[in-house]
Amino acid sequence: MEVSILVLSFLVMISIRVPVAWSLGISSLLAILVSVDTYPALTTIAQRVVTGLDSFSILAIPFFILAGHIMNRGGIAERLIAFAKSLVGALPGGLAHVNIVAAMLFGAIAGSAGAAAAAIGGFMSDQMEESGYDKGFGVAVNVTSATTGLVIPPSNVFIVYSVASGGVSIGALFLAGYLPGILTGLFLMVVAYIWAKRKGYPTADKSSIKKVLSTFVRALPSLFLLVVVIGGIVAGIFTATEASSVAVIYCLALAALYREISLKDIRPIFVESSSTIAIVMLLIAMSIAMSWVLSYENIPQVVTDALLGLSDNKITVLIIINVILLIVGIFMDMTPAVLIFTPIFLPVVTAMGIDPVHFGIIMVLNLCIGLCTPPVGSVLFIGVGVARTDIHRVIRPLLPLFLAMIIALIVVSIFPELSLWLPGLFGF
Amino acid sequence: MKRHMDIFLEWVLVILLCMMVLDVFWGVFTRYILENQSSWTDELARFLLIWLSILGAAYASGKNLHIAIDLLPQYLSERNKKILDIVINSIILFFVISVFLVGGLRYLYISFALGQTSPALDLPIGFVYMVLPIAGLFIAYYKMDDLLTTIKNLKTMNNGS
Repeated sequence: MEVSILVLSFLVMISIRVPVAWSLGISSLLAILVSVDTYPALTTIAQRVVTGLDSFSILAIPFFILAGHIMNRGGIAERLIAFAKSLVGALPGGLAHVNIVAAMLFGAIAGSAGAAAAAIGGFMSDQMEESGYDKGFGVAVNVTSATTGLVIPPSNVFIVYSVASGGVSIGALFLAGYLPGILTGLFLMVVAYIWAKRKGYPTADKSSIKKVLSTFVRALPSLFLLVVVIGGIVAGIFTATEASSVAVIYCLALAALYREISLKDIRPIFVESSSTIAIVMLLIAMSIAMSWVLSYENIPQVVTDALLGLSDNKITVLIIINVILLIVGIFMDMTPAVLIFTPIFLPVVTAMGIDPVHFGIIMVLNLCIGLCTPPVGSVLFIGVGVARTDIHRVIRPLLPLFLAMIIALIVVSIFPELSLWLPGLFGF
Repeated sequence: MKRHMDIFLEWVLVILLCMMVLDVFWGVFTRYILENQSSWTDELARFLLIWLSILGAAYASGKNLHIAIDLLPQYLSERNKKILDIVINSIILFFVISVFLVGGLRYLYISFALGQTSPALDLPIGFVYMVLPIAGLFIAYYKMDDLLTTIKNLKTMNNGS
């Protein structure tokens, strides 16, 4: 009863354009009002909203968002694209490969896919159109490759997963993301290669070693952020939150050094960042409130029993969960999906002997696909927006790229070593 | 009025975000350079985050920046879109008044009554929760402002046709 009220009211509200964060809060409130008196119910939701945000781990998210906003102004995307161009520009469909590699590099220093889609797509879409690429194809490549940045650390979603799972190590998750993220990128490149061959897209001349080196040196100060953040976390020098604050200071120093932002740019950057931060954080707070209501109604236990009753085969259960998550991802943004479904599915998979780190990677990789599908594809909309095109032109070229992402998801689900080998190597 | 509130919130948010960065950075600095980490930095950072998030949510509410799914409403007529806006804003208003204002004030009252204080800063926890009713007032004002504007527009539309 409570759960059907929760699900129904949520679906009705998001479909009439009530903002998602408020919808989560309201349907949680309605569900809990069934069994709890009015005043205690109101106080409980208020309390969940505040205490949900009261975590030192979550603090890394605002800092990575702020660092990303500074990076966007600081000319970092442009330098990464130049480096990627010297590496893969000479392949058939070169600019598509440049986009994919640049997005992966951007993902390796930034924590969100939207930032990558905006920063890289902004530069690449015009170049691709001038070189005779189909615009829809360019956007499709841009948005799918931008999501690899969520799997390649640093990544805000892994911080969210760590919180939702009750403290899976952020360092382990970060390291586990490298190989699956790179693998997905490579699969996307294979599709881009075939597509470009069939359409006869132009290739650039091969770059000399000197050119590769010079663009690398120009990109090096930005890429060094990776050493500071990931290196710092893995070596145990600082926590993810501290690393993210160091990243903010580093990006500010870098932007000042390049003279790409001045003192009067600081205020608008901070205002823009704090409103992005607040949008994400309200979503997180309300999702945590809903997750609390669900566990109050004992849903994780019910789902665990149901799934374990259905099958005791690891692969079968993983397939069922993956299919459910793919559907969830179409209708829900990644952050609330992770916060709400991790507590529901994690007990099942750990009971089957699947490592929580491995499951985190599967979940994020899965939900990445939903970020590129309408109606709730935040990255898709950003990509379409920066390329100033229409969503209908993007759907057809997206399909083969989805296939690549799904194959990557299957491979990563079947072979836990892909996720767990690297963290194991560093003793996580 | 709305403009002044926006600018006021912008400044508060910028200050909170700057304090947060400096606070966490100071924690790292004191641990490695002074080899004696301040005990209060973690706690202050968490409190600042709560204030930044909830007040920022109010600011984003005023600018209608919270993510919503514009799927079905795009097929509605201009008039029905306005009516839907009234419904949406009333729903948000209902939630904010009940949870942020009523629930928040009760929560605040309980924690002051119990005399809860934070471990490191020895700050009454109620001050942290105070952000809920404050942000609630801001959002309630923004949403009522939206409601009145929409109703006014609807009236002129009716008179026009």
